[in-house]
Amino acid sequence: MSGAAAVKRALAEPRWVRVLLLGVGLGFLFFFLALPLLAVFGEAFATGWTAYAKALDDPEALSAIGLTLSVALFVLPGNLVFGLAAAWAIAKFDFRGKSLLITLIDLPFAVSPVVVGLVFLLIFGAQGLFGPWLAAHEIKVVFALPGMIIVTMFITCPFVARELIPLMQAQGKEEEEAALSLGATGWQMFRRVTLPNIKWGLMYGVILANARAMGEFGAVSVVSGHIRGQTNTLPLHVEILYNEYNAVGAFASASVLALLALVTLLAKTIVEWRMRRETLMLKAELPPEKN
Amino acid sequence: MSIEIRAIGKRFGSFVALEDINLHIPSGELVALLGPSGCGKTTLLRIIAGMESADHGQVLFGGEEATHLPARDRKVGFVFQHYALFRHMSVFENVAFGLRVKPRRVRPTEAEIRRRVMELLDLVQLDWLADRYPSQLSGGQRQRIALARALAVEPRVLLLDEPFGALDTRVRKELRRWLRRLHDEMHISSVFVTHDQEEALEVADRVVVMNRGRIEQIGSPDEVYSAPASPFVYQFLGNVNVFHSRVHGAWAEIGRESPAAYASAEAMAFVRPHDIDIERQPVVGSLEARVQDVHLIGPLVRVELAHATELIEVELTRERAALLSLVRGQQVWLKPRQVRVFALPETTLEDEGSGI
Amino acid sequence: MPRPASGRRLLPGFGLSLGCTLVYLSLLILLPLAGLAFKASELSLAQWWAIATSERALASYRVTFGASLLAAMINAFFGLIVAWILVRYPFPGKRVVDSLVDLPFALPTAVAGITLATLYAGNGWIGRHLEPLGVKVAFTPLGIVVALTFIGLPFVVRTLQPVIEDIEPEIEEAAAMLGASRWQTFTRVLLPALFPALLTGFTLAFSRSIGEYGSVIFIAGNLPLISEITPLLIIAKLEQYDVVGATALAVVMLIISFVMLLAVNALQWWAASRLHRRSGSADERR
Repeated sequence: MSGAAAVKRALAEPRWVRVLLLGVGLGFLFFFLALPLLAVFGEAFATGWTAYAKALDDPEALSAIGLTLSVALFVLPGNLVFGLAAAWAIAKFDFRGKSLLITLIDLPFAVSPVVVGLVFLLIFGAQGLFGPWLAAHEIKVVFALPGMIIVTMFITCPFVARELIPLMQAQGKEEEEAALSLGATGWQMFRRVTLPNIKWGLMYGVILANARAMGEFGAVSVVSGHIRGQTNTLPLHVEILYNEYNAVGAFASASVLALLALVTLLAKTIVEWRMRRETLMLKAELPPEKN
Repeated sequence: MSIEIRAIGKRFGSFVALEDINLHIPSGELVALLGPSGCGKTTLLRIIAGMESADHGQVLFGGEEATHLPARDRKVGFVFQHYALFRHMSVFENVAFGLRVKPRRVRPTEAEIRRRVMELLDLVQLDWLADRYPSQLSGGQRQRIALARALAVEPRVLLLDEPFGALDTRVRKELRRWLRRLHDEMHISSVFVTHDQEEALEVADRVVVMNRGRIEQIGSPDEVYSAPASPFVYQFLGNVNVFHSRVHGAWAEIGRESPAAYASAEAMAFVRPHDIDIERQPVVGSLEARVQDVHLIGPLVRVELAHATELIEVELTRERAALLSLVRGQQVWLKPRQVRVFALPETTLEDEGSGI
Repeated sequence: MPRPASGRRLLPGFGLSLGCTLVYLSLLILLPLAGLAFKASELSLAQWWAIATSERALASYRVTFGASLLAAMINAFFGLIVAWILVRYPFPGKRVVDSLVDLPFALPTAVAGITLATLYAGNGWIGRHLEPLGVKVAFTPLGIVVALTFIGLPFVVRTLQPVIEDIEPEIEEAAAMLGASRWQTFTRVLLPALFPALLTGFTLAFSRSIGEYGSVIFIAGNLPLISEITPLLIIAKLEQYDVVGATALAVVMLIISFVMLLAVNALQWWAASRLHRRSGSADERR
């Protein structure tokens, strides 16, 4: 055996191992990711275009799409402001109880969506803590839009903050200090220095939060009450049609959500690519000295 | 504008960063804060800039109280150690930043901003880089852009944190001279922090030597080098041989100090390696030693000698060394030309750094 | 030079941002969880214990934990392979495949649920070929494992990928220079370096699986004592207006969530401290 081959053997897997690993890994991904994705669209178009179009051009489906969009519309701004505030406090300052705060922000990732739904049912439901008071003032929270917005806020609360904290920690606070020493006000510093530096991370967090907000099922299911045409988001609509053995209808709506997932993945990949390019630019070797 | 520091103190938890600092920086001077890392020099600089607040004491600019003035109102130019250039802005926009964020009624017109920025870029000789981004610049270029950015707001005082720390040796030397020339042209009171004694001695009008949150000595570069006020300064600025004077009573006499005062073991004598003569014959007040090693270092010859258990370093010119023709194991006599004796072993470099 | 918190802070907005954060978290997370604890306090400890350890509840824990554990183990094994080929081997379409790994994060769980159920049903694309072999997946506990494997897939891959990227080629070269075969290098040098991340990914996938609801209920069959997961049991109790029973089980789930969260934090801390020890000079290089 030649020396070069021996070196290669020691530093890389033999060819058959590479082929085997590639086969196993890609096969796994095919069966668990690609096939389900194809199946969504396959089932949706199983009986042709017209049946698909008809399934979507249905008042209940359209109202479900509208409700899904309005939930996201209410949830995202809150998420954005909270994420920015939390990341600013955590990344740029030192204070006691910081790691506890970070754990608390992570909590919604760990709690089962069903438990989240139940928790808000216990507070705002008819027998809940605020139930009687809300009923007396004719405010509907549970089995109505407000309840669905609140549970979705709970579920998506970590996304933006989780993206921004490590990013802002890595960037440090020298640029902000420089801006202040040059006479910028707090707002000018934030708008001209901080925001441009974190814009991609912010967008990344919002994309993830949006996907989750539009797709959340368990928690919303508990507090929605499943009132057709009123409190059904798109995922809930999918469930109802599926349980009624309306496969084409269910998969037509599901295909809309799958499309949303694909757009999310695309946007995420683009943002990731932009972020990676910027970090590479920052890490690039200094060019040689010249005057 | 002059800067006055009065009784400034600062702690971080139980760590004393600064203790009762008093310092007057006259208008137009270039002052170096010199000391090992952890000595509090950067903290002091940040307190002057308003980026850190002191626990007690006062900061005055031109006789005016500035202790509680926020950083953005101090009109201080600050050059960060790692430059802190805004990475998403071009060089031009970086320099223009301080002008663009001024309140509308005092903000210069766009044409005026353009003129001022190009003037500054011209001053730092980098006008051809205006459209580049910080990531496309070399370290030395970033340094000069950071300086131009700080100067754009016409600061009353210029503060620089380890301005040459992140640069390689050759660029560092060039920029050092360039900063000195720039200062002589602009005559703006400037303070820079450094741990490099050569840098401080070469560039500054005055050097403030700091150690463990205190000022050890304030003086011209020549004063701090040739007349160190404390053992710490002696050891921090250049090589030095340390002797305990009871053993070396004869040397203490030569040190022009009264020998009686240092008869006890609680005194130390400091002699720089180039302040010792080597003789082949015993002379009055000389110390017997044995040659251990001879190194040729560029224009100098460094001789290591053993006296009892102590190692002594002596630096000779090549000519003198040739005349002596020293060989290993040879018996010689040492005679100091200049000795400083300090009572009581104060802080020495050996136990330095424990507080960091 | 140490520069911890000072009394007056230079950067503005500390009070405002921390205040906003705390108010938001308190209203949205702490207060509701306190509400759950309040509701649960209507139960005596003995009552709670009776509900939490009823036969049906115990069976649901077995199904939930068993399926989650199995799915997390499958993901740990295949996730390691996927992460490895994504970092180390060139192949066409790699970027698309890499993006696709996040599909379970992006695809709503209900969609995943109905799709997997259809695929693995007796007449589905996959189930059609498994049924003759005597393997029934849909509407059995095996279906739950399939759904949870889908849900947990990105966790292991995404935790391992950056760690594999960060392995310095020098350590593999050093092992080879010292005479190790590729297999020895992998088991003795690489795997120990990857182990904390692998364990973290495993725990994340496991913890997500325990609470999962949407993707499971369509494929599980949901037979009490056999294929009923705990979140579904909570829903079942709610639908029978047994709020107290649902609350008791929710408390169990919440305690498990806390434990898992602590475990993940401890693991990440452990992994970070190991990494730090391994490259102690990293700070200086920066």
